[in-house]
Amino acid sequence: MVNEKEGLSTAESLRKTRTYGQVRCHNPSCMGRLEPKSGEPTVKCPMCHMEWRVAWVKEGFPRIRGPVWDVNKRLAEEEFGRKMKEVKKDGPK
Amino acid sequence: MEPMGKVLAISPEKCTGCRLCELVCSVFHDGVSNAARSRIKVMKWESEGLYIPMSCQQCQDAPCLIVCPVKAISRDEKLSRVMVNHDICIGCRSCVTVCPFGAMGFNVIDRKNFKCDLCDGDPQCVRFCDMKAVDYLDADRVAIAKKKAAAEKITAAQRQAVALESESH
Amino acid sequence: MALNRKIAYIDLSTGKIEIKPIPLEVRRKFLGGRGLDAYLLYNHTKQGCDPLGPDNTLMVSGGILTATLASATSRCHVMAKSPLGGMLGSANMGGFFTPELAWAGFHHLVIKGKADKPVYLWIHNGKIEIRDAKNIWGKTVTDTQWAIREELGDDDIKSLVIGPAGENLVRYANVMTGIKNSGGRTGMGAVMGSKNLKAIAARGTMDIKIAYPKEALEYNKRFIDQITSAKVNQTQGTLGTPFIWGATNSWGGVRTRNFQYNQMLYADEIEPESIDENAIKTIGPYHMTGCFGCQVHCRAQYKIPTGPYAGIYDEGPEYTSQGGMSSEPDIPGLENLLVCNHLVDQWGVDNLEIGSIISWAMELYELGILTDKETEGLDLRFGNAEAFQEMLERICFRKGWLGNVLAEGGIIASEKIGKNSFDYLIQVKGVSNLHSDERATPALALNIATASRGSDHLRSRPAIDLYHLPVDVMRRIYSSPVPYDGPLSSEHTEYIGKPWQVFWHENCYMGVDCLGICKYHTTFLGATLPNFEDWSRVLYYNTGLELTPREIWDVAERSNMMERLFNLREGLTRNDLKKGDMLNHRYFDEPARRGALDVVGKVIDRKKFEKMIDELYEYKGLDQNGVPKPETLKRLGVDKEPSHLL
Repeated sequence: MVNEKEGLSTAESLRKTRTYGQVRCHNPSCMGRLEPKSGEPTVKCPMCHMEWRVAWVKEGFPRIRGPVWDVNKRLAEEEFGRKMKEVKKDGPK
Repeated sequence: MEPMGKVLAISPEKCTGCRLCELVCSVFHDGVSNAARSRIKVMKWESEGLYIPMSCQQCQDAPCLIVCPVKAISRDEKLSRVMVNHDICIGCRSCVTVCPFGAMGFNVIDRKNFKCDLCDGDPQCVRFCDMKAVDYLDADRVAIAKKKAAAEKITAAQRQAVALESESH
Repeated sequence: MALNRKIAYIDLSTGKIEIKPIPLEVRRKFLGGRGLDAYLLYNHTKQGCDPLGPDNTLMVSGGILTATLASATSRCHVMAKSPLGGMLGSANMGGFFTPELAWAGFHHLVIKGKADKPVYLWIHNGKIEIRDAKNIWGKTVTDTQWAIREELGDDDIKSLVIGPAGENLVRYANVMTGIKNSGGRTGMGAVMGSKNLKAIAARGTMDIKIAYPKEALEYNKRFIDQITSAKVNQTQGTLGTPFIWGATNSWGGVRTRNFQYNQMLYADEIEPESIDENAIKTIGPYHMTGCFGCQVHCRAQYKIPTGPYAGIYDEGPEYTSQGGMSSEPDIPGLENLLVCNHLVDQWGVDNLEIGSIISWAMELYELGILTDKETEGLDLRFGNAEAFQEMLERICFRKGWLGNVLAEGGIIASEKIGKNSFDYLIQVKGVSNLHSDERATPALALNIATASRGSDHLRSRPAIDLYHLPVDVMRRIYSSPVPYDGPLSSEHTEYIGKPWQVFWHENCYMGVDCLGICKYHTTFLGATLPNFEDWSRVLYYNTGLELTPREIWDVAERSNMMERLFNLREGLTRNDLKKGDMLNHRYFDEPARRGALDVVGKVIDRKKFEKMIDELYEYKGLDQNGVPKPETLKRLGVDKEPSHLL
């Protein structure tokens, strides 16, 4: 029992997988790793073209603050229109 | 020259009020969890969100040391702390009464007084406080840190004044 | 010792108080906290009892590790039959109450009957006294606590109280402690109110012996490093829980206008950073505060910056307030959020339930199902902050027809309002959903549908599913302490492997709730945070109790089964919209309109959803109707319930 207690637990050993300085694109099918430049207020995902406002929790620790509203709202509306057309074409599931 | 020794430096504004310091203090010294046994205590004004950790200041001219009728209290210059010798102590609680900070406690379970002993040089409250609301610093560094903070405020105020001045012209 | 903390049975009808030890055999089966509460609830309530009658039994408890060196052991659990849905009532809060209760000698309180006039309990170093509450009845949440301190002459007293909403039997009233720590879900405050119990005050100076103090200290240091080094907790400690709302809203997982949209547009004013800026402005750079022994300090302090409440101090707002007060009713202003957060804290009502209910009423008003006649002229349209605040007050103080009806909770209200109002109510088992929109996240949808206390994220939500962790990392988490070699998917819009994740988290969260630790200290929002293996060690160092990770898992599974048995006894049937493991039809029928590209257009696929439920039932050892198989009950050692061990 004592020996078993001394090693790293799974959760502790997973700490090595942590990444700093990067955020993931908030588009779930994309999830591209974005690395905003220090202090930059926005970042555009090169993969899916959605744009995000960036906030810094602290230096070297960015997080997505929210969407660039006008850009992502337009993209979402276009996507919704396109998908609804597809649904109509295919008929209800 | 020997440094004058380290002191417990408390920055109340950083305290989150979690009282982990009280918990680790009682476990380290007495092997039990009991905030009533802690040498450090967070005083709270909850309706304003103010938390002030209070502990022994290890006074240079310690009133507890002066008032003790049996000389059970002495200064340990090596760790710059005030210590109680419980073999001599008669439990009269004069030290509890006289301490201006309320930092000398009296434990009703063991019928003994108790106070901060800086954990023999590795204060556990400091070790566990992630906020550094309680820190362990060379005595002369405490004032330097405060000087710097105050100076920063003055600089900021001056810059603001200059900015306002140039705006109004 | 933690293990010798006692259980007290308090009958408010007769004034009889009985104090007993908790046998080790029971500890090994249920540990404490929520697990033992679930056992007690099943054993001490009669099927079909009136939740607001004297026969309902109210459990108040700390976990087995409360006030020990296990980091963030502040959690207080409250359980009873819920007046909101008539199913399991269960709420959990942080703060400083349970450590004080444990130092006063107690881990569990079982409160029965009804006092003939308002009373409160005073628990002090092994003694319990029932006291007259005439001087504190009618007071707000904080005033009640300060008045008790004054009356008993001790500033270190910590109390669990109800506010006006609990006194007025609002069916989603909170039990609260401190400025804003709330046992908020399922109306436990109304149960206290129905018993004429205004507060439980505790103060203790009794030792809790730590089994291995040196090891416990060292392991706690390691535990804390693990917790504070997590990115998610560093963000929590800077921005508080609003960061979760912010992140979720940015990709389109936040209910807006009840359930019409999945994102609040142009929400800049109530984004986490804006809330933080106000806290810095009104309090200062160090404005985060924490519960007992916690180094995450996720709670902000603030003052209301503008308007009629300017200068008033409060804490939060939490992400649930952003959801309930801002996105669901679509009110963008920061002042509204901070004011409403203050009002619910003072009156003692569940912020996410009341926000959800008013938003539902707003949708009904815009649809013409509610009219000016019912609202008594109140313009209850989305976005109207004044109307929202007026409804808050009408509900908490049961003013007018609509205030009274909405105070009864969604299901009763939908019956009184009639027409097709129920179709628009976003609830499970009578409990409104959190502000989250799960149409793009099947795992999260499965979680809310099957949560034991009704639509709720803190029972089994695999929140880390949103992080797209590599499958090998997921595998390491999800195949311990019980092996799992089934499929797993990093894709959070997928249905594959999710039932196992939900099952795993259900047991993980029951585990922390039995120990009395906060969920931010386990695999809830961070993949690298402690769970079963780590608990086995802290439990041993602090209490001397040796349980393997697998045995802790078994405790959790057993306790979850007790909750299931209770719900089944109260009428849970799989597909029942009011009492079952089923979601509102809108999850299946209305596609999400906003958010990230891949979220747009998403609905939950009904067939795949039902398959997920089948699979989850299998893991839980239930048959296809959701009823436990006899061999499951036997395996978990709960085949002879009620067994009345306590």
